[in-house]
Amino acid sequence: MSSPTDSGVVAHEAHLRADVVVVGSGAGGATTAAILAEAGFDVVIVEEGPWVDQDEVTPFSLDQMDRQYRSGGVTVALGLPSIAYTEGRCAGGGTEVNSGLYFRPPLDVVEQWCRQFHIDGLDIDELDSIADEVEAAINVTLVPGKATPASEILRRGAAALNWRHSEIPRWMRYPAGGDAVTGKRQSMTRTYLPRAFAAGARMVVDARVDKLVTLGSAMSVELTYGNGTDRVPGGAIHCRYVFVCGGAIQTPALLQRSGFRHNVGRSLAVHPTVKLTARFADEVNVPDDVPVHQVKEFAPDLSFGGSASHSGLVALALSDEWRTYSHAIESWRRMSIYYAAITSQGRGWVQAIPGVRDPLVTYRLTRRDRELLRSGLGRLALLMLEAGATEVYPAFRGAPIVRNRSDLATMQARFAATKASVMTVHLCSTVPLGDNASRCGADSFGQVYGTDRVWVNDASLLPTAPGVNPQATVMAFAIRNARHFVATHERASARPSVATAPTTGATPTTPTTPTTPIVPMTGATGAATSTALEGPS
Amino acid sequence: MIDRREAPVATVVTGAAGWLGRALVHRLLADGRTRLRVLVHTDDERSLVPQGDDISVEVGDVGDRRVVDRLFAGAGAGTDVIHTAGVIHPKRVSDFFHTNTGGTRHVTAAATAAGVRRLVHVSSNSPFGTNPQPTDLFRQDEPYHPYYGYGRSKMEAEQVVFAAVERDGLDAAVVRPPWFYGPFQPPRQTTFFRMVRAGRFPVIAGGTQRRSMVYVGNLVDGILAAELVPAAGGKGWWVADERPYEVNEIVETVGRALRDEGFSVKEGALRLPGIASRVAELGDRVIQRAGLYQQQLHVLGEMDKTIACDISASRDVLGYEPAIALYEGMRLSIRWCKEQGLEL
Repeated sequence: MSSPTDSGVVAHEAHLRADVVVVGSGAGGATTAAILAEAGFDVVIVEEGPWVDQDEVTPFSLDQMDRQYRSGGVTVALGLPSIAYTEGRCAGGGTEVNSGLYFRPPLDVVEQWCRQFHIDGLDIDELDSIADEVEAAINVTLVPGKATPASEILRRGAAALNWRHSEIPRWMRYPAGGDAVTGKRQSMTRTYLPRAFAAGARMVVDARVDKLVTLGSAMSVELTYGNGTDRVPGGAIHCRYVFVCGGAIQTPALLQRSGFRHNVGRSLAVHPTVKLTARFADEVNVPDDVPVHQVKEFAPDLSFGGSASHSGLVALALSDEWRTYSHAIESWRRMSIYYAAITSQGRGWVQAIPGVRDPLVTYRLTRRDRELLRSGLGRLALLMLEAGATEVYPAFRGAPIVRNRSDLATMQARFAATKASVMTVHLCSTVPLGDNASRCGADSFGQVYGTDRVWVNDASLLPTAPGVNPQATVMAFAIRNARHFVATHERASARPSVATAPTTGATPTTPTTPTTPIVPMTGATGAATSTALEGPS
Repeated sequence: MIDRREAPVATVVTGAAGWLGRALVHRLLADGRTRLRVLVHTDDERSLVPQGDDISVEVGDVGDRRVVDRLFAGAGAGTDVIHTAGVIHPKRVSDFFHTNTGGTRHVTAAATAAGVRRLVHVSSNSPFGTNPQPTDLFRQDEPYHPYYGYGRSKMEAEQVVFAAVERDGLDAAVVRPPWFYGPFQPPRQTTFFRMVRAGRFPVIAGGTQRRSMVYVGNLVDGILAAELVPAAGGKGWWVADERPYEVNEIVETVGRALRDEGFSVKEGALRLPGIASRVAELGDRVIQRAGLYQQQLHVLGEMDKTIACDISASRDVLGYEPAIALYEGMRLSIRWCKEQGLEL
């Protein structure tokens, strides 16, 4: 097994130069960086979070949330109800922390996108063959041996109800003779980032991109170094092109801060989920893994699966109705958390606010969404009873403990989405791609409207939330778009190395004044900077 | 071909003067069943049941245990029971529980005591409420989410039956029909035809919501399958037409059927915004909380909802095949009205 490598990570410096800066190192950024570097572009990847080796943290633990998630995993989209969401914030992004379940890009959904958003030149067969390539690169496989007890519950309940269900493959490597919980996720820090490094890409971690400044035919990527709490003086990277791959919240926020606002951040799409905790007679809890079975009887609009369920998360899932539920925490080893996820007809906004680090995120569920959440939680609770649950604890205020089918009626009568802990992990669609400029924020290959220097290449591009875990779809689109870029753009003649300092003799950007105009390396004058592209100051 | 038991020695039918009950009794007699023992509510309703040696009539309230005991006199291991009695549009909410829940409690207890071969309980979609969106279908097994008083009373009735299956070993099956149509219809259904004829049938919020419906003849087919197929016991079964229909399609099809039966039909429908249904639903809720029931409000409040079910389990296990679909069924229904001299 190849060992993870951070060999491309370079020190914080006031100045760097590159052909291309890739902002973000998750499913979109890492693949983009690898394709571009392998094609000979000089790439610098900028990652806001730290490099954390997989072996340093327990999967799905609080420690992991603290180190590898933005704000410790606590971020909220305002609305009625507010929707909690999580974002990976580390080298490898969400791929380091998510469930590791693999869904091939749903081609029927992609075809629908092509029609509705006029995605020009999208070859479905090409996308499908890229999916093959991705599957090989990240080693998509079924778990060896038996699934965990928490996963088996989903299979058993669905089988009893005659509901469609399956084991979802994962991108993991298992040691010979290993069982379900011994896998190592083939995340970006183990796959595409080492590939990018091998091709010469460099990476800066613990570096937040504040703003992109257009300098005629070049870009300056302005940075703040540090891990968020004690920030240190920043720097700037001069480059010709920027790929923004910060995820569906950070990408539009950065674009807005940099003055790009056409259909940016206006159409956030998510898969809202509601949860319950189910208690069984046996010890079913698996603290460091998530179930691999999912129930797709009502897909794509409604899907059921299992969540991370260590004791802290069980306590959290019981907290909505703590007065009634608190006694149950003592038997957390016999409990596991499950979710019902829906496709949503609602939409959200991402809005960067001057002077505030994080953008304001709002999301509005429709009446149909709220009904679907109610129905989803009811059906999931029924499945748990059929799987042998002795008690079910739905996660909403005022919920009853469900022990039988009569309680299901009480539970559904009391449910209101506004009382529930609604959360989401799949955030998409804030810079939808396509030639339908009235709806899209980037063209059919991800180039942001209004500039020929900036691309988006992450989940922001997906025109809607696809109804399944979007990672493979994000990766396939990112690879397709990166290849198109390679085919249509010249490399810089000489590949600069890490040691190459800026030679323009310009006054360097000072960390305290990140918006100071920078003399571009191309020799164009600073006056070429369009005022329209200036971010809020 | 799915195996069926022989017809029973005797058959008890409740609600025999109702829409479904009459269609069922006619079929049973046509099939050559003898020793039918049927319950009607009032003496006036005797005339709605065929006379003959093969059928004996008991009169009274299914919500009265003594009446039900009289009905079951002589019932035993050779008897099947088909319990169709119920009230859907009463004056007071308490009537739902008296008739639907209480009646089922008595029938179930009497069937258990008599040791009958099988009880078929006719339920409804209403214990399950409405679908969360127009493309959703209720599967065979769903969590209860009753729709107001009627839904609660029918849910409790199902629970009474399933409890007797679990606790007492009663052999019972539950049939769940959605909105039905066809011969033997009560007067309120002629209102439905008249509204369509006048181009005044209320279509809410675009009419893309879907409804499962069942032609009453199809429903009788499904009930007989639930009675005679051994594997039907202990479960609930959707019995409906092959697929749900969009409300727009229902209005259009009924209009076409009326025209093809020689009636003049005004184009169009009474198109209302979604808020109309929500206001009506709110009114329905307030009135039902006060213990009262108003049919128009209830029906209008439900009009913006999708109520659709998946019949595949009934097809696979019971061998149920819906023979008649909407257009043909509506023509049969209109012809029956004409034959009865009913004015549409």
